[in-house]
Amino acid sequence: MNRARPAAASLAGAVLLGLAGCGGGGEDTVEAHLRLVVPDNNIRVEGVECAGARPFDYVRPGASFTLEAPDGTVLADGELPAGRAENADPSIDWGVERIPTVCVMELELEGLPERPGYRLRLPEGRPLAFDRSDLSGDEPLMLLVQ
Amino acid sequence: MSNRLRRPRRACVLLVALALGLLAAGCAGGDSSGEESHGGAADLPGPVPAEVAFRAPPDDAPPAPDFSADLIDGTPVTASDLWDDRPVVLMFTASWCERCADVHRRVAEVVDEREGVALLGIVPADDAQGAREYAEELGLGYPVAVGDERVWLSYAVREPPTVVLVAPEGKVLRGWPGGVETPVLAERLDELFQGR
Repeated sequence: MNRARPAAASLAGAVLLGLAGCGGGGEDTVEAHLRLVVPDNNIRVEGVECAGARPFDYVRPGASFTLEAPDGTVLADGELPAGRAENADPSIDWGVERIPTVCVMELELEGLPERPGYRLRLPEGRPLAFDRSDLSGDEPLMLLVQ
Repeated sequence: MSNRLRRPRRACVLLVALALGLLAAGCAGGDSSGEESHGGAADLPGPVPAEVAFRAPPDDAPPAPDFSADLIDGTPVTASDLWDDRPVVLMFTASWCERCADVHRRVAEVVDEREGVALLGIVPADDAQGAREYAEELGLGYPVAVGDERVWLSYAVREPPTVVLVAPEGKVLRGWPGGVETPVLAERLDELFQGR
């Protein structure tokens, strides 16, 4: 099993998957760049560091996560980095500094064993499922915390 | 025969004494150096100095929800005991919140300069262990309590850092989700002092 840990600050809180000790040598691997969006609509200054606000307060820096295959095999685990506050509705010019925001955490997982699908499991809430094909694009895959 | 009976009793007494000694050390926070830990009972404020007087809070200010909690060294504290005759700044914080320590430090600087004002840090219930390290690293000289969910909800705190100013007699004057600028807090506190 791979172990993911928060990387250096220069990586903006990204999480890199450790390669040492992984099983299945020669196995095809993929990279997953995930944007974990916490829809807490909390009032913040855009861009500040954040954690999920209630009732999503379990989504916070240092909280554990696992990435599983569809059969439940744990492929990676790690700790969530700090998030950054983003405008909850960019179509609105709020006209003030403190605005409704969502908290977005970036996860970069490298050397992930290739599977048809994956499930990101957080300490609480529903697992967030996505397909291998969702990782094909250039843009990070957005996962909405539920 | 009697000696054979006494020896085990002596051994028993010694063992019990040893166990009690170990328990006492544990109850003292496990700090064999004898130094007080930060954020605990030693950081609770003393009486308000006689020369300091505060203004009565505005009549329309809402009552502050009272609560009891344990400090990170296990000492029980009741919020209304603190705000009975002085302003109290509640600092909702967490060890995992990277911004919080900076906000906490700046709030403490404002309180440092205003004799008689109390500052109480409040961490989530599942953050007690982390909070001890947090308090040690900060070393601010103010108490830190472990607040259960009701405390956080009663002040509508959705995310740390959040700062709440409570006037003497327990009236909420203002809350600042995300933290407060130092001059703003200083001005609001100064308004509470008679003669400033």
